[in-house]
Amino acid sequence: MPLQQKILAFLRSKGFLLLVACFAILAVIPIVITDTFFLYVFTLIFIFSIYAASWNFLANSGQGSLGHAAFLGIGGFASAIIGTRIANALIQMWGGYAVPIGALSVAIQVSVILIGGLISAGIGLLIGLACVRLKAWYLAMVTFGFSVIAFTLSSQFDSITNGINGFDPSTLVPGGYPFYILVIVFAVASIGTMYLIMKTRIGFAFKAIHGNESEARMIGINTAKYKLMAFVISTFFAGMAGGLYVYFIRFVDNSIFSPANSFLPLIMTVIGGLGTVSGPIIGALFLTSVTQILTIPSVTQSLSSALGPIFPKVSYAGPPLTYLIIGVVLLLIVIFSPQGLAALFHKFYNYLMSEEKPKKAKTK
Amino acid sequence: MDITAGTLALTLIWGVAIGCIYVLLATGLNVIFGVMKLVNFAHGQFLMIGAYLTWTISVSLGLNAYLAILVSMVIVAALGVVIERFTFRRVLGTEKLNEIFISLGLIYIFENAALLIWGDQAQQIKSPFYGMSLQLPSISITYDRIVAVGVVIAVLVGFGLLLWKTKIGLAMRATSQINRTAMLMGINVEQVYMITFALGSALAAVAGGLYGIIFSFDSQVGAMPTIIAFAIIILGGLGSIRGAIIGGLLYGITEQLATLFLGGIWSSAVAFALLIIVLIIRPNGIFGEKGE
Repeated sequence: MPLQQKILAFLRSKGFLLLVACFAILAVIPIVITDTFFLYVFTLIFIFSIYAASWNFLANSGQGSLGHAAFLGIGGFASAIIGTRIANALIQMWGGYAVPIGALSVAIQVSVILIGGLISAGIGLLIGLACVRLKAWYLAMVTFGFSVIAFTLSSQFDSITNGINGFDPSTLVPGGYPFYILVIVFAVASIGTMYLIMKTRIGFAFKAIHGNESEARMIGINTAKYKLMAFVISTFFAGMAGGLYVYFIRFVDNSIFSPANSFLPLIMTVIGGLGTVSGPIIGALFLTSVTQILTIPSVTQSLSSALGPIFPKVSYAGPPLTYLIIGVVLLLIVIFSPQGLAALFHKFYNYLMSEEKPKKAKTK
Repeated sequence: MDITAGTLALTLIWGVAIGCIYVLLATGLNVIFGVMKLVNFAHGQFLMIGAYLTWTISVSLGLNAYLAILVSMVIVAALGVVIERFTFRRVLGTEKLNEIFISLGLIYIFENAALLIWGDQAQQIKSPFYGMSLQLPSISITYDRIVAVGVVIAVLVGFGLLLWKTKIGLAMRATSQINRTAMLMGINVEQVYMITFALGSALAAVAGGLYGIIFSFDSQVGAMPTIIAFAIIILGGLGSIRGAIIGGLLYGITEQLATLFLGGIWSSAVAFALLIIVLIIRPNGIFGEKGE
């Protein structure tokens, strides 16, 4: 089995060691920096990293979605509804006592999030069947339309979804550090899996389709099959990110289907670096930290007193000004550095290294 | 619910008035697509800017709202030139995804700039006919809606004359067929692109002015009309102006009927359901050509 060999080879490679090292560092950071806000932002960054990476995975096969919020929401709603039902059933079994936190609730949490991903992937399969023949703007429009329809349906079937008022899914894994660990396990596993898939024949087929669909078909790639596969895998991970997100912020309502949530992974990926592994993570890091810093009370106060006289029409000019700047950054990156911040960092790194080299040679 | 002939007639008239605004927006989007093979998803934001400029001009200068539309049209056309020159031209001919990214960046810039400049309160433009309506037996129609239909017809006739009777119109049509051959014939294709984009944006600005007279609006108003305009040009055929006119009117009437019979929450979902069904059956639109 080539896939098994690939996985085994990967487990022995430096990349895997690097991954483990990353994981260890990420797990240790919050122990060193014990700030709840820091932990909150970092958990959010990794949830969005999964979400952005799932969008990037789809884009790797040449398909750009403008409605990924549909899958974030489906995964979120599915895992929250199922998880809450399971938790309630268990509470009844234990005769009114809360579910003891431990291996069982962690197992339930993990499986509920996976189920959310699977349901999202199932619906992704159906939507993907409609989308594989579409290109560029048509695909963008249709995926966007599905997120609008998902919003309408979640409001219409309120008795099942409780989508209008929203609800708080029962806690399974406590927030804070335990949930952070859960999120980085999911993040490392998901992003790693997507990376590995891109290294297999399937990944090369995606790249071929992205490069030129007609040529890919000519050399015998079943383009419809592979595009559908990309759609299903991407929606699976997007749904999982949705489950994590909902359990993290402890709330879900139909606003999860908003266009802003659909544009989020796109902007993160493009700013970070389209088609790269680190791109979505860099983008999520950049965008999440910028928008979250704006919510710190002291920042809010100083910004609104500084910007108030300039923009008298709005009560707090911070967020709109930030989104305006994000729009400008997006334009600049698409026009001047299509490979995103990742490429800029890489160029900068290479530049530094080329400066360093003569010195190193001397010391040797 | 009792639906009398009066409410039905009123619904149809409303549908035509709203449809006219969609027609203008869709025509602008369609001309830009036809000539440049570019879909500007930020097209509705030109509508929003047009509405705000008309509002500002009519309030601060005390100008007649319909004259203010003319001024805002010129300003938005100039804005269109700048946008085309510095953003879309840079990615023209590269991957189609880049156009979507550029549009999205523009949406963020326009919406938040409008929010910062004009604030978050909804506004409505007061025309000289504000609050006046034509009384007919069992129905009454506001004059603004009637004037809106007249303005749209006048603008479309003017645009048609420009496209079919002038040299620049000929250059636009030639470029829309095969741009390289047009270039070979001595047409300055880049200039044609610039003029086309400016014209399309100006049409959106007129639509914005009319929209702002009939409805109240805020900085988020542009998103839905863009999608509707896109749906219309897919249904009516990419690049076909006649298709955009018929599609726009049909859409306006259907939307109003859907609201009357199904309720407001379904109007956008129904629009998308229609769009998705059409695209599943014909991935390039009803009258779309096969292939690239």
